[in-house]
Amino acid sequence: MLRIENLKKFFGKNVILNKVNLKVNPSEIKVIMGLNGSGKSTFLKIIAGLIQPDEGQIFINDKDITKLDPEDRNIGYVPQHPALFPHLTVKENIYYSLKNKRGSKKLADQLVKMLDLEPYLEKKTDILSGGYKSRVSLARALVSQPEVILLDEPLSDLDLAIKEKLLEKFKEVLKFLNIPVIYVTHDPVEAQIIGDTFSVLIKGKIKEINSIEEAHQLMRKDL
Amino acid sequence: MKMKNFKKNFLLLIFFVSFLFLIVYPVFSLFINLDFLGIKKTFSDIYFWLSFKNTIIAALLAALLGLILAIGFGYCYLFYRDTIIYKLSNLMNDLPIAIPHTVAGLALLVAFGRKNFGFIGETGLAFTILAVILAMFFVSYPLAARSIASALDKIDKEIIDVARTLGDSPLKVYFRIVLPNLKEALFSAIVLAFSRSLSEFAAVVMFGGNLPGKTQVLASYVFTKVEEGELEMAITASVFCIILSFSIVTLLSLRKKDA
Repeated sequence: MLRIENLKKFFGKNVILNKVNLKVNPSEIKVIMGLNGSGKSTFLKIIAGLIQPDEGQIFINDKDITKLDPEDRNIGYVPQHPALFPHLTVKENIYYSLKNKRGSKKLADQLVKMLDLEPYLEKKTDILSGGYKSRVSLARALVSQPEVILLDEPLSDLDLAIKEKLLEKFKEVLKFLNIPVIYVTHDPVEAQIIGDTFSVLIKGKIKEINSIEEAHQLMRKDL
Repeated sequence: MKMKNFKKNFLLLIFFVSFLFLIVYPVFSLFINLDFLGIKKTFSDIYFWLSFKNTIIAALLAALLGLILAIGFGYCYLFYRDTIIYKLSNLMNDLPIAIPHTVAGLALLVAFGRKNFGFIGETGLAFTILAVILAMFFVSYPLAARSIASALDKIDKEIIDVARTLGDSPLKVYFRIVLPNLKEALFSAIVLAFSRSLSEFAAVVMFGGNLPGKTQVLASYVFTKVEEGELEMAITASVFCIILSFSIVTLLSLRKKDA
C-alpha cells in the first residue's frame, strides 16, 4: 500500500502541496485530476523521489521511503511524453531495468505479449506511432516490478479513438501486477474508463471525490 | 517600399564589403604571396615537419584531455549544479578565455615550472612537449566544456528521470543514457578543442618554449621565421595552418549537416 502523510512543497513563496494525505491500496487505480499547473506532476515526481518534499512522509507497505533516492524506491514512473531512450531499440528500452537486476525476463516477455509489442522489439523507437510509444513506456516501467506505479497523463498526446482503445489495455495490464497505481489526467473520459477511485488536486490539497462530475464542479470553482 | 529595399541592400553591402576587406582579404593575401621557393624551402625544412608533428600530437592529446575533463564537468552540470564545487569550476571555466594567454602561460610556468616559487615547484615540466600539451589544454578545455553544457541544456530531462526510477544511479544514467545521446556534442567538443589548441601561440611559448624540433609548434614556427626574416617560409607555414584549420572546420560543419 502507498501512504502519503502531510506532504508539503513550496516553490519560492508558492504553496504547491499543502499537507497532502493519500492512501492507495494494491490493485487500486487512483485517478488524480486537476487543472493545468495545479501541481499534479510535481506530486508524482515527489513520490518518485525526483523532487524532494519540504515536509511530510511517504510510505510503501509501511516502509518510510521519503529520504531514498529514486533508484532505491522501486517506483515505476510513466511520464507525460513517453521519454523512450532514443539510442536504444524497443527491446532494450523495455528490458532496461534488468541491467540493474530489477524485475524478471519472464515478466518482461509477458508484458510484451500483453501489449502486442512483439513485432517491434528490434525496431528503433523513433519509428513507432504515439500509441506504441506509450505502450513501450508502460511496459518499461512495469518490467522493473515496481511496488507502486505512477502515470502522468501518459496518453495525453493521443487521439481520442486510440486513447479509448489503449485505456482498456492499460487497465488490464495495470491490474495484472496488483500494485497501487496513481494515474494523473485532466481528461474526464480517460479518468472514467481507467479509474477505480478519484481525487482532485486543488489549491495544494487533495480531495477525495465520488464522481467525475464532482471533480468538474470543484475545478470550475477553482478557476 | 523602394527606400526600404535600398536601406536593406545598402546594409547588406556594407556588411559584405567589411567582411571581404577585414576577414577574407588578409587570409587571401597570404595565398597570393605564396611563392614556389618559399614552399620548397619550407617543405624541405625538417623543423617545419617536426613542428607540424608536435602541433598535431600535442593538440590531439590536449583535446582528448579537454574532452575527458569536459565530460566530468558535464556530470556536475547535470546532477550537482547546486554544489559549491560546481559553481567554482563553472566560474573558473571562463577564466582561460578571458585572461591574456601570455598570462595563462606564465601561470602554468609559475605553477608547474622549473623554479621553486611555484605551487608544486620543481616539476621539470616547463619547456617540454608535456608543457605544450598542458598549455593547449588550458586554453581549449573551456570550449569543450561549454559545448557539452549547451548540449546538456537541450537533452530531454524526462529520460534521465525515467532511468533513475528504473534503478540507475546518476553516474549510470550519465554513461548509459546521457552520453550516448550526446555523440554530436562530444564530436564538436573534441574538434573545437583540437582547433583551438592548434592555433595557440602565447601560452605555448610561455610555458613550453619555442625549441625547434622539441617544443616548437606551427604557430611558433611561423613567428620564428618572421623574426629570422624568412617571410616566404612564414607565409608557406601559415597557409599550411589555414588549410589544416579550414579542413577541420569543414569536417565539423559537414558532420553537423549530416546530423
